[in-house]
Amino acid sequence: MRSLLVRIFLSFWLIIAISIGLAAGGGYYYAERMRQAFENYEISDTVIAASNALESSGRPGLEAWLGDLPSNYPVNVFVLDRQGKDVLGRTVPGRIERAIRRFDQRRDSHREHGRERRNLRPARPLTQLVGPDDELYTLFVVPKYSVYGEWVREQTRVLLLLLALMVSAIVSYALARAITRPVHKFREATVSIAEGHLNTRVSDSMTQRKDEIGLLAQDFNSMADKLQRSAQQQVELSRNISHELRSPLARLRVALELARRQTGDLAEFVRIETEAERLDSLIGQILSYSRLETRDQDESTPIKLAELLAEVVEDVRFECRSEGVQGVTVDFNQDQEPLVSGFAGELTSALENVLRNAVHHSPKGGSVTVELSSVGEQARITIEDQGTGVADEELANMFEPFFRTRSALATPELHGTGLGLAIAKRAIEKHSGTIRASNRANGGLRIEIELPVRPAVD
Amino acid sequence: MTHDVFELMNNATRPANILIVDDDQELGEMLRDFLAPDHLKLTACLNGEDGLKELQSGKFELLILDIMLPGISGLDVLKKLRQSNDLPVIMLTARGDDIDRIIGLEFGADDYLAKPFNPRELAARIKAILRRTKQSPRRSESCELGDIALDPRTRRATVNGEPLRLTGTEFEILRCLLETPGEVVSKDKLNERALGRRFMPYDRSIDTHISNLRGKLERAGAINETIQNQRGVGYLLIPGI
Repeated sequence: MRSLLVRIFLSFWLIIAISIGLAAGGGYYYAERMRQAFENYEISDTVIAASNALESSGRPGLEAWLGDLPSNYPVNVFVLDRQGKDVLGRTVPGRIERAIRRFDQRRDSHREHGRERRNLRPARPLTQLVGPDDELYTLFVVPKYSVYGEWVREQTRVLLLLLALMVSAIVSYALARAITRPVHKFREATVSIAEGHLNTRVSDSMTQRKDEIGLLAQDFNSMADKLQRSAQQQVELSRNISHELRSPLARLRVALELARRQTGDLAEFVRIETEAERLDSLIGQILSYSRLETRDQDESTPIKLAELLAEVVEDVRFECRSEGVQGVTVDFNQDQEPLVSGFAGELTSALENVLRNAVHHSPKGGSVTVELSSVGEQARITIEDQGTGVADEELANMFEPFFRTRSALATPELHGTGLGLAIAKRAIEKHSGTIRASNRANGGLRIEIELPVRPAVD
Repeated sequence: MTHDVFELMNNATRPANILIVDDDQELGEMLRDFLAPDHLKLTACLNGEDGLKELQSGKFELLILDIMLPGISGLDVLKKLRQSNDLPVIMLTARGDDIDRIIGLEFGADDYLAKPFNPRELAARIKAILRRTKQSPRRSESCELGDIALDPRTRRATVNGEPLRLTGTEFEILRCLLETPGEVVSKDKLNERALGRRFMPYDRSIDTHISNLRGKLERAGAINETIQNQRGVGYLLIPGI
């Protein structure tokens, strides 16, 4: 966001600064050329040229000469007739009129105060020419280049430039902020939704805007509405599926017991019961696998990984004692108490699935080793068994849903649902962690799980 | 009130009345057939409203409550029931739905079963809870520790003389811990005593009950005695100094 702000700000400012620079440079160049032209200019040249024109062709010649003066001529030349009107009919600048009036006043006062000073003529910016028709023309020269203006420019050029840059910087920054602030707000809202807060919306101040950003804000909110609705529908759907699929199973099991009571226990009944249980756990696994995909609406919480792992180990040990997994021992070593953040239920089922998998693939009397350690910013859990391991080419696929290794296919009694490790992988990845499988050098499978440690200060 | 449950089971004329609230009518009917030989008389209701109405009769000794119900949910039924009634409740949850299970136990359910359940397991749990509620007056010595006092005869618990409302399961857990203060009671034993069944892996009911019990004791002001968790072993009640 910073960088976008900075980039837009700099672009605007640069454009404005370049424009100012070009204008200032152009102005300076023009002024400089005028100044040079003016330095080489002599008023007498104009007077002589005008006089020549008047002498050779009378008033029309004077008019033609005036009209043909080049635009870069360093002075504006006005020629007034006896009535004080410009010969070309141009309006005479007030400055010149005032100058003439002053001149006339002075002439009059000289007349009054002494004829002896007649030879003394006050300096004047004008020359009088007499045409062939005895018409009197007053030639007035106004320099285009103002010495005073030049002085102002010299003194304030830097100041003006700085002022222009400052104003343009403020305007550019305001403009850049106006563009990036909504972007920033959109980003906050998007991040929040991505974190699972599906009830996040952008504020009314954004949606009530009449511009494109207002429209975008409205679209954003309606998109968020749809997301939230579909997430809710998905949760409801999975509850309904679970309910609908399990209701027949529940009836089946009661019917089975009623049948048992009537006919006594048959081997087939045991089989029906086992299959019903398998179907039930498969439904459960499919649902929890798909539920991992939908975002939780709950906040993640700090989790003491050692404690959670100890409970999982305890449960699996219990299972080892009570079920058909004979004589498998689970060793648990921990030298760290890392804190991670996430969802305890999901992490528990992930670790449970991996650990049960290891136990079920262990040979009789084998041992499974669980280790918790910290590696940098990661908490690492390794689970090692003494089973047959997995063919190297199958290692990459073993976290795929319903993937079964060749050895698992050969021993149908080991059939889990085929989803345990897939659930584990999805849950671990949801917690920004990684899970890897490798074969141990001296036989058996090694699963390595890494989870980012929650920062100590939150 | 002082029937022994075995005596009760042998006495065919006095079956235990049980209400099941579940929208699956056929399941209810089959369960009625299944439980009848055990002298458990099952009445079925298909929704929460009817269930609450039935419960007002006061003749039921146990409620089996499905969490997923049309209309008002099982949790709401449980909440309403617990405002006035300590009737033992077994709830039926979807397997893997931990949140329903935890909330249900927090709202005062005594035990839970994941659906689809083994009906023999259901029968065993019903009997265990009935046995507990019938049997306890036999061992009727009241026990006391610090601020907490229990009277098994009336099934009343008090903290500093103030009555403390506990569910049957919470009462049994507390009694079990009070009998041996400072000694760790295994989860297995707590399960046997309070729920009438063995501890199963992945079963956190006892932990949820304990955490509810802790909350109730704290709110009632029993701050000297604390229930501690001995990881992997069980729980113990630390007597106040």
